[in-house]
Amino acid sequence: MTRSRLELLQWFSLFAGPLAWATEHVVGYFISDAACNVAGARWRLDTAPWQAVLAVLAGAVVVAAWLAAFVTFRETRTVDKDEPGPLGRIHFFAQAALLGNVLFFVIVVLDGVGSVHDLPCRQS
Amino acid sequence: MAVVERIEHLEELWLERPGVLGWLTTVDHKRIGILYFWTTIVFFAAGGTEALLMRTQLAQADARVLSPETYDQLMTMHGVTMIFFFIIPMTTGAFGNYLVPLMIGARDMAFPRLNALSFWLFAGSGIFMYSSFLIGEAPNAGWFDYVPLALRQYNGGLNVDFYALGLIFNGAASTIGALNLIVTIFKLRAPGMSWNRMPLFCFALLAASLSLIFALPALTADCIFLELQRKLGFHFFDVAHGGDPLLWQHLFWLFGHPEVYIIVLPAFGIATSIIPTFARRRMVAFPLVAMAELLVAFIGFGVWAHHMFATGISTATLVFFAAASMMVVVPSTIQVYAWLMTVNLGTPDFRAPLMFIGGFIIFFVIGGLSGIMFAAVPVDQATTDTYFVVAHFHFIIFGAAVFPLLGGIYYWFPKVTGRMYDERLARWSFWLTFVGTSLTFFPMHIVGLLGMTRRVYTYRHGLGWDAYNLVETIGGFVLAAGLLLIAFNIVRSLRAGELAGRDPFHGGTLEWTVPSPPPHYNFAVIPTVTSAYPNWDARAREADLRRLERGELVLDGGHETPATTVNDAQVTEILEMPPESPWPIVLALAVTISAFFLLTEHYATAAGFLTLAVLTLAGWHAQEPGEA
Amino acid sequence: MTTATLPVRAAHPKGWWGAVIFVATEATLFGTLVGTYVYLRFHNAHWPPPGVPKPPLLTPTLLTAALLLTSIPMYIASRAAGAGRRETAWRATTAAFAVQLVYLVWQLHDYVHTIDVYDPQQSAWASIFVTLLGADHLHVLVGVLLSAWFVVRISSRLTRYRIVGLQSTAFYWHAVNVITLVVLVVQLSTHL
Repeated sequence: MTRSRLELLQWFSLFAGPLAWATEHVVGYFISDAACNVAGARWRLDTAPWQAVLAVLAGAVVVAAWLAAFVTFRETRTVDKDEPGPLGRIHFFAQAALLGNVLFFVIVVLDGVGSVHDLPCRQS
Repeated sequence: MAVVERIEHLEELWLERPGVLGWLTTVDHKRIGILYFWTTIVFFAAGGTEALLMRTQLAQADARVLSPETYDQLMTMHGVTMIFFFIIPMTTGAFGNYLVPLMIGARDMAFPRLNALSFWLFAGSGIFMYSSFLIGEAPNAGWFDYVPLALRQYNGGLNVDFYALGLIFNGAASTIGALNLIVTIFKLRAPGMSWNRMPLFCFALLAASLSLIFALPALTADCIFLELQRKLGFHFFDVAHGGDPLLWQHLFWLFGHPEVYIIVLPAFGIATSIIPTFARRRMVAFPLVAMAELLVAFIGFGVWAHHMFATGISTATLVFFAAASMMVVVPSTIQVYAWLMTVNLGTPDFRAPLMFIGGFIIFFVIGGLSGIMFAAVPVDQATTDTYFVVAHFHFIIFGAAVFPLLGGIYYWFPKVTGRMYDERLARWSFWLTFVGTSLTFFPMHIVGLLGMTRRVYTYRHGLGWDAYNLVETIGGFVLAAGLLLIAFNIVRSLRAGELAGRDPFHGGTLEWTVPSPPPHYNFAVIPTVTSAYPNWDARAREADLRRLERGELVLDGGHETPATTVNDAQVTEILEMPPESPWPIVLALAVTISAFFLLTEHYATAAGFLTLAVLTLAGWHAQEPGEA
Repeated sequence: MTTATLPVRAAHPKGWWGAVIFVATEATLFGTLVGTYVYLRFHNAHWPPPGVPKPPLLTPTLLTAALLLTSIPMYIASRAAGAGRRETAWRATTAAFAVQLVYLVWQLHDYVHTIDVYDPQQSAWASIFVTLLGADHLHVLVGVLLSAWFVVRISSRLTRYRIVGLQSTAFYWHAVNVITLVVLVVQLSTHL
């Protein structure tokens, strides 16, 4: 694999997952906030389909990011932990992204299940 | 040129003015770190006194030691002081400023004059906030300052205005400090210090600083809205005109939750510095620990409404926050396992710094367990506004943030002062503070579950809370004794401690490669880094010595340090750093005066002083480092 | 100054990174303000409230377009300064500054009128709208002061310090222009 492709995969694996979760979290929050307040009453928002699509899209990006991390990790598996950048740094971030994307995947799944499951707009 | 001559020349280049004027105009990160340290210690003492007064009032039922109004002010200022005037400036301003350039092999922070400005603005904001006590109108609506209690019709004095303006002011200082730390970590790392070779302490400070950058604007916006509503009659928080009181809480906690990670992350960084040194081995799972620090900060931005589980927000909305709150504990757990494994696999030397880290891990696990319970909405709703919550956050803030600080003070005391602390006194101080902390905060779990509400100035006799409160108060004084013992140890050792030498603990990071205390220029030769623990890399250090002899990477053509690339730390240019400057303190003075005029609604005069502040920037930037 | 005998790589200077981090915090501030606008919008049946005239469309759009176009001369100034072409850099900065100043004066004049017409003391909508606009104008003011500074400083000579300062200012201006566009979109959304 070329160095530039490896770099691209490494940065994608590090940032795509968190950005996907952050987007899903903020948009999902605002959708439910609109639905469960005055605006939602006027617009009659059915949030479940929106939240489902959001969760699936975010989840797909996080999975792609994890796969990118896996490929990067495998390509640099013989690199020593103290190797200088770029290979040492790429290997380091690949490990970091392998961990991070698992966490983001779990949060997105929890979000999706929780917001798609029949939760009426009632006070908690 | 001989090595001795080079070093003398460097010493001449980097020397600052002597005396008080030198301290007022300093741009040396070490001096600024020391200024931050002593100033925050004063605020720690103030916040601690406020706490002891509160605990004295609460020692017995139906006590009349303090009036309700006085109690409210002390309670509010205790929280505000400990968070904004002690722990954040201590960790980022004192520890961060002093240690980060040394750990990354640089001669100063990226923006030395901006560094001085962040300290003087912080000092100004502290003076501003505490001057409220002089007129008996200290902030009194809690450190979280909820509306509608904070609105003018319920709180007509200057109390809340001190709070809002003071925090905007303090926030500017913290933002500037955070910006400086981020750019320093990005651009000033020594050649060869790619991300995988950067100390974990620097990852922790980077995570905390990035969080400050993205969290503070929410608090600033909130405080601006509050002041616009209080002073100019705007409507953000009242339903009658289309506002929402929960808007305050959303924005506050959007800042407030990342804030608690900002508080604890540098403490994690201190722990990850002390453990490898005293376990005498590298940190287990180094990349995962580094990532865990960044993950905690990032995920921490998504959990804010778990502080609002009892406000009546729809369940459909709360789901997002419950989910994120459950997962945010995972990176912290990974770190705890890594720390314990490192000690287990190493050959631990349980001197005072490591003892404080041991205490930290115990308190962090207990505090973390009560914290994860709050992620479940029903449990949170049952315990909201009880002392159970107070127990949780004191275990985290005191146990998990302050304990590493105390350990860190002992750990780096030899480096900063050149002298050793007294080890026996240090161990005694650990046990006193450990017992004191446990006695003060553990019973709060029980009394909270027994129904004692928080934020109350007294309670009735016969509710079953009396004994617990008495024990907590006794614990508070035991804790105070422990802290005073630490202070005594430090002050005595400053004068009478035995000489420490360069590297008393065989630490792995670069600060242990320079003399104690470090010379003004930090490094005679800019180190070339080939591992994550450069002081354990003898070959690389010998190569540095040979470069010094050859005059390579000495950079003594001026006030110089190299800039490197962000990812792989390859040299990009030689930076000329500015000498000492009067502009930062002058600018800070102008802003402080302006804040007082804003407080008292003299808007034109305030604008005048702000204009003066802007004009000082002209003087500042007219002085270009390195230009004739 | 040490003459570098080291192999050096080209990279963004630390001053540019300082501008990036500063922009990050200011952009977050605007995100918070826009988020507040959206949040309050969801909590109100009528937005703006009944009886309040909708904000104008044409003048703000034209003014914003003019401001966005100043990114071009700022970009030219930044590149020219980096290449050592002082006169080109100065002319481009001055051209940008002139348009930015006209924009600011015009907007501030309209802002006074806005506060009068919409009256933030009457509604949350007007409060957040006026605050959002005011914050944007304040950031444009800072940009205008920075442009003015460099019009003066690079009229005589270019130094490394001034080049990095100008490049950082150009970056700041691109960000302010994007933020102004977002504020315009919020303003126009009242007509939806």
